[in-house]
Amino acid sequence: MIRVESLHFAYDGREVLRGIDLVFGEEILALVGPNGSGKTTLAKHLNGLLKPTRGRVLVDGMDTREHTVAELSRKVGYVFQNPEHMFFEETVFKEVAFGPKNLGLDESEVEERVRWALGAVGLGGFEERTPYSLSGGEKQRLAIACVLAMRPKYLILDEPTTGLDWKAERSVVETIKSLREDGHGILLITHDMDLVLELAERVVLLEDGKKAFDGPVEEFFSLDLESYGLERPELLVLAEKLGAGFVRSVEELAGRVKQ
Amino acid sequence: MIYQFYVERDSLLHSLDPRVKIIGMLIGITSLMLFNDPKALIPLFLFILLSGRVLGKLGIGEQLRLLKPLLFIVLLTVLIWPLVYKPRLIGLLLGVSFSLRLLGFGLITFQLLMTTRQRELILGFVRLGLPYELGLTLTIALRYIPTLYGIASTIMDAQRSRGLELDRGNLLERIRKTVPILIPLIVASLKTAHELSIALESRAFGASRRRTFYRDISMKRRDYLALGILLTCFASLFYLRFVLGFGHVVIYR
Ligand SMILES: Nc1ncnc2c1ncn2[C@@H]1O[C@H](COP(=O)(O)OP(=O)(O)OP(=O)(O)O)[C@@H](O)[C@H]1O
Ligand SMILES: [Mg+2]
Repeated sequence: MIRVESLHFAYDGREVLRGIDLVFGEEILALVGPNGSGKTTLAKHLNGLLKPTRGRVLVDGMDTREHTVAELSRKVGYVFQNPEHMFFEETVFKEVAFGPKNLGLDESEVEERVRWALGAVGLGGFEERTPYSLSGGEKQRLAIACVLAMRPKYLILDEPTTGLDWKAERSVVETIKSLREDGHGILLITHDMDLVLELAERVVLLEDGKKAFDGPVEEFFSLDLESYGLERPELLVLAEKLGAGFVRSVEELAGRVKQ
Repeated sequence: MIYQFYVERDSLLHSLDPRVKIIGMLIGITSLMLFNDPKALIPLFLFILLSGRVLGKLGIGEQLRLLKPLLFIVLLTVLIWPLVYKPRLIGLLLGVSFSLRLLGFGLITFQLLMTTRQRELILGFVRLGLPYELGLTLTIALRYIPTLYGIASTIMDAQRSRGLELDRGNLLERIRKTVPILIPLIVASLKTAHELSIALESRAFGASRRRTFYRDISMKRRDYLALGILLTCFASLFYLRFVLGFGHVVIYR
């Protein structure tokens, strides 16, 4: 369980997070909000990259102020928005091995974790490729594998589908779903409301450094999203017109319409 | 994150002709090189800092904050001088004064960047006789320092999240640990440079030989006056250093 208690944070005296309370466990939690609302800043508190100016963050009972990022990286994995910002090795295998090696694991354990992590994101067989030569979706999944190899319980994904085409996006979505089934808690930062509708179990809406909403997906989509600069998914608009109520996927809508 | 150095203020330094400020920067840097005695360098550094405050309306903290990236080198300088130079106390003093020089160079450069818009800076360089391409290259390079700084800190965050501990281990290990930071940074820089060159060419950069400027600059009375004051100060410092022999200690005998 990650517990955020009245968290305040300021960059150089400018307060960006203004009193946030949040509990996050084994679930897919979507973190949404306009540009500059503080999503990334909040996420960086969960693995200790930033420390609260006031309030505190507890990761399975560990206060982030008393632990280093390296210690917390065993619990919370953070996948940054731009995967290229972390690639530096010649091969995919070495790239994924970097994290487990930092944990001080022996070679056989490192190898086992790399194979497992690559398998989990569907990149088995890519071991000898060069990270920079992969496609957009593959790069994103490799970034996830690099973090996954640390075996964290919680995963933070900062806009994992931005800039990907439909097929690549699907591959990342499938990866997220299977990670959830394996028991990971996933914090998904995104601007894509379709993705929220499809994946999220709970939604937190940030506005101006404060929580404007925290609750189930259906209730979230009954908010006046446009006033927060967010777009209603086409699927919901269509479902409403057809009088089908709240649905989460095209298949569900089709099923209701047939009835 | 700082994405640009320029800060909008209504001050004397902001309104001066960029040529005067560029010459001022060169004079400042040369002056710092004249002296190696803390006795002279400490007042000089404080004087530069204060002129930024008074003439440029730049906060003291605001100016010093930009010098933070230099802190590591400064620390190294202050530590190493007393180790290699005897008597050690003089070594320490020399370490301090060389650091002050370095910080002074940084400070003057940042003051120029904080008080001058990019297009004025290019114009200043060009009107001082530099080819436009060179002026543009120079200002683009300066413009990208904060951007690269931002990318570098994102990369550091990303690698720290993978368990990289930058502040552990001996010197050699620490140097090795910069590889995961430097490679993504170089790749990102090359990509940015490549994209920038495409952007420049797609706007027909270099199509005509003689460039004209929509906005031009001209020296006013105030600018000549400022230039006069600068040159007078420079001459006095020269006098102080070479005629009166102040502010210089012999290091190598
Ligand atoms: N390193 C930094 N230094 C100073 N200010 C920062 C820094 N990083 C972010 N900010 C500021 O903090 C605020 C919140 O930024 P943050 O990146 O958390 O927003 P976000 O919700 O992730 O936005 P986006 O949707 O654009 O990713 C913004 O106003 C931003 O300008
Ligand atoms: Mg963000």
